[in-house]
Amino acid sequence: MAAEGHGHSPIEQFEIKELLPINIFGVDASLTNSGAYMIVALSLIFGFLYFSTGGRSLVPTRMQSISELLYEFVANTVRENVGNQGMQFFPLVFSLFIFVLVLNLLGMIPIPGITFTVTSHIAITGALAIMVISIVIFYGLYKHGLGFFKIFVPSGVPLALYPLLIPIEIISFISRPISLSVRLFANMLAGHIALKIFAGFIGVLLGAGAWAILAPLPLALTVALTALEVLVAVLQAYVFAVLTCIYLSDAVHGSH
Amino acid sequence: MSPAEKGSDGTEGHLSPEDRAEFKRRSAEIGRKLDAARPQSGASKRGQGSKDGDSNALVGRALRLSTELIGGIVVGTALGWWFDTYLMPTVFGVKTWPLMFIVFFLLGSAAGMLNVVRSGMKMKTGPSDPSKGPAVPDDEDDVK
Repeated sequence: MAAEGHGHSPIEQFEIKELLPINIFGVDASLTNSGAYMIVALSLIFGFLYFSTGGRSLVPTRMQSISELLYEFVANTVRENVGNQGMQFFPLVFSLFIFVLVLNLLGMIPIPGITFTVTSHIAITGALAIMVISIVIFYGLYKHGLGFFKIFVPSGVPLALYPLLIPIEIISFISRPISLSVRLFANMLAGHIALKIFAGFIGVLLGAGAWAILAPLPLALTVALTALEVLVAVLQAYVFAVLTCIYLSDAVHGSH
Repeated sequence: MSPAEKGSDGTEGHLSPEDRAEFKRRSAEIGRKLDAARPQSGASKRGQGSKDGDSNALVGRALRLSTELIGGIVVGTALGWWFDTYLMPTVFGVKTWPLMFIVFFLLGSAAGMLNVVRSGMKMKTGPSDPSKGPAVPDDEDDVK
């Protein structure tokens, strides 16, 4: 019953598996479990939003209420952080939020041998963060021209400090996509590893003779951790959306 | 609540007068409750909504601070290392190791601190800033 002997490594769940090999002109574009999960997530999101808003009744049905609540929640987040001007970015923030949320939550549904948390890979979160920060830079340059770079110049500081403060501001700006992507990926990775490890303890204890009496302890912990992980899944999607808004706010309003 | 309860005496689809009165009373009651609740929620929506969001987001914000600090340090150090090992020797032909590495580690730490302080300030004052923009949704069209 040695759990680790059977390849039940806690990080096995993050393995990318090729489901459908596709090769486009030498580029490996195979469908992996990660890609399949994203397709499932997108279908779920599209299907849910399409059918729940299909009725468009004045007094919303339950499903329509969920859609409307999601809309209002994200719209309020955008308005609070970017202002009304930021509503032009609402589709972006909404898509990001729903995408990350559904992927996080799908990763919480245990299907033996299949379950995969797409957002636990920095390739995904990094790509999302790079996209966000590229939009911030391009929109900022488009809107403010070179004046966009004033966000690197702190206001109300003696000129002598500029050589010190401007590099700090630039590093601070560059660190944004990194902390944005690392936060999401690290939270999901660490959470799922912790879950797997504690769940593994149950099996190990059960197979350890008299120690089996202790097995309910990690079981209780796993249940608690699962609840925490659901919280983290929702929270990290929200944090991702809020930070996207805060960064967009720089692009919209120029220097802070 | 189910219609089967009321109509089980053989009068399905046909409401007795007392049922009708009961239904009227209940619908009137719901109407009153809705009226009582509506202006209240409308008035307190802004304040309460953001307050709820704040308490919900507190954990998220706490989690955010740690990565802000680490992000700054990592980026600063990486930049310094890159300057030292690639940019300075190959582009400018100067040997600066480990000068840039150290300097940018310090700058990165400062940037990390700055990130933490900034998000800390945002938490304190709240992210909403009414002076940040006009309350016109589509004024972007004028700019184009």
